[in-house]
Amino acid sequence: MEPNFEVAASWYDGHSAVRHVGMARWDGLDRLSLRSAHSALDVPLDDLRFGESHGDRVIYRRDSEPDFRLTLPTDMPPSFARHLPAKSTYGGWIDRLGLGKAVAIFAVASAAAVALFMTAPEWLGPRIPESWERNLGQAMIGDFGGRLCHTPEGDAALAKLLDEVDPAKVQVTAGVANIDMVNAVALPGGQVLLFDGIIQQAESPEELAGVLAHEVGHVRERHVMTALLRQFGMSVLLAGANSGVGDTVFGVASMGYSRDAEREADSYARARLAESNVSPLGAADFFERMAEEYGDGEDNAMVGWLASHPAAGERAKAFKAAARKGKDYPPVLTKSEFAALESMCKDDPDVEEFEFF
Amino acid sequence: MHGHYEAEGGDSAFAFEGNWREFAPIAFTNLLLTIVTLGIYRFWATTRERQYLWSRSRFVDERLEWAGTGKELFLGFLIVLALFGIPYFIVSFGAQALIARGYEALGGALFLGALVAIFYLMGVARFRALRYRLSRTRWRGIRGGSDDNGFVFGLSYMWKTVVAWVPFGLLVPWSMTSLWNERWGKMSFGPYGFEAHAEAGNIFGRYLLFYLAPFVLFIGGAIMAGMGMLAGYGIGGEDGMAVGGVFGIIGLFLFFYLGLGLIAVAFYAKFYREVVGATRWKDLEFSFEASTLDWVKLLLGDALLVVLTLGIGLIFLSYRHWKFFMTHMEARGEIMLDELTQSTTKTVKHGEGLLDAFDMGAI
Repeated sequence: MEPNFEVAASWYDGHSAVRHVGMARWDGLDRLSLRSAHSALDVPLDDLRFGESHGDRVIYRRDSEPDFRLTLPTDMPPSFARHLPAKSTYGGWIDRLGLGKAVAIFAVASAAAVALFMTAPEWLGPRIPESWERNLGQAMIGDFGGRLCHTPEGDAALAKLLDEVDPAKVQVTAGVANIDMVNAVALPGGQVLLFDGIIQQAESPEELAGVLAHEVGHVRERHVMTALLRQFGMSVLLAGANSGVGDTVFGVASMGYSRDAEREADSYARARLAESNVSPLGAADFFERMAEEYGDGEDNAMVGWLASHPAAGERAKAFKAAARKGKDYPPVLTKSEFAALESMCKDDPDVEEFEFF
Repeated sequence: MHGHYEAEGGDSAFAFEGNWREFAPIAFTNLLLTIVTLGIYRFWATTRERQYLWSRSRFVDERLEWAGTGKELFLGFLIVLALFGIPYFIVSFGAQALIARGYEALGGALFLGALVAIFYLMGVARFRALRYRLSRTRWRGIRGGSDDNGFVFGLSYMWKTVVAWVPFGLLVPWSMTSLWNERWGKMSFGPYGFEAHAEAGNIFGRYLLFYLAPFVLFIGGAIMAGMGMLAGYGIGGEDGMAVGGVFGIIGLFLFFYLGLGLIAVAFYAKFYREVVGATRWKDLEFSFEASTLDWVKLLLGDALLVVLTLGIGLIFLSYRHWKFFMTHMEARGEIMLDELTQSTTKTVKHGEGLLDAFDMGAI
């Protein structure tokens, strides 16, 4: 022990800008006496807090007097230094752990968090009751406020088509949206929409059966719920990072996922078509046309028909292979039923435009 | 006791004494920690960065000190997330749901309302960020701040920005200077308030240059393109004309973007000289001496640094900008140290979350 150890010091009292230059005397216990020509101040050592270090000087602050600043030299006898608050570089936790260890722990924790948020939707999505998803869908989109096309004959044709590809007791809600785009979507809450554009370009009702079966597949395999959960998880995970970076990463992450989902929905569609004795060649034709028109592997973030990450040509082949050789499939809709579906949007006098697409 | 300082001629009142080799370990460890924490460390990273930059900045005879903490910045972020992020999420969800149900007008109005709210909050954020930075800056143990919460400034920010654009944007210089005056007029350091009397008239000439340049450049560029075509025709007939035209159009684009960028920099250089020069604190007058050429060098340096290091140089930009700011700041006048007592402004316990959310600069 070195009682009455003294060292040159300077301080600001936090009340005025006048600098005090004098000596700091340590009483050997828990108190520091600051003395200058014009002022005297006693500071309990446990009131001191590390501020910053700067070359050969260290600046301490006081808990009880936040604007007080005491500057001491860095070199102190160990017996005294022990009583001074420890230096802080990176922040509390990291200083205690050491930089290398902290980085390793953070990296593992972050990787685990990312892995959890990436995989959790996969098993959590299918476990969320369908009734919850329906409520969520109701809250998000409701009934589209009169922008779905309805005619008695068209509705009946659509219902017949749906019966072939959705044998479940509680069927999905299917509709024809008044949008002139070659696309179809599966929306939250078990809603499936065929756009009028895809109906107009279809050359046979079997094509539409294939499309509808695929979208029903997305609903039944719980892809929509999974995608929603994934979106939500990503936005939580990336809330810490800047939003600009976050959006990019999020885009990439949701893209990588839909390839498997599309394949699953396709194989669901093939199974239903086979069960109902509907020719899969319609869907194959559709994909061949898409492959010719748009090239293979068009990118689209929507969980939809054209979000075809598996190349369209490859998908056409898979549907073609599902057809049993020499089998005569009965037509899935009569000519007049197909025509009713085709003229559904034209013949509905009350249908509104989709202005936000 | 030795009472006052006179900053007159000779050495600048402001100086920056850091160097990038000292800053590099801070920047790189910040980058590393920010990555492994998925961005959460950035609040502590900002704090470490500022602590270094402030501590290497000298005003008269004492260095500045940054007294902010990472924790309070993080807290500010959480507060903004809870108070604005969640309501914003709900409103945009509601607007989407309304539009999907066919109530486009109502949904659109809700969206518009959210946008207006963001516009307002951007003004508030600018004010509060400056207040936060002053309140965490120590010089000789004295800090700054403001007793105003910035909510009124947010309204001013809205109407002055809108009015500026009404006469085809001709009032932009007025809105910029008047908002500067209003914001700094409510700030103080120690016992004394800041005053700012920047005048739009002094920067209007430069603004007009910027304003009219697109027309002049476009006509000039079109003439150049035409001349290129003529020259090409002279050399190689029809084909030569096409090649000449292409070169002419490339020339036009370069001329347009570089020319316009340069004039924008010239305007900002003048703007900062005017507003800082019109700001005073008690008996101290400030000035900012960076010329257009200085700004061009800074920006070109930034671009080169980032490109040549494949983006890593980004972490040094805050250092370069702070150094630029400090080396070009000047002050003249007197400071009575005995009279310079502690600020009585309130200090808030959270950092500049709102500003962080909008990703804007404070000064």
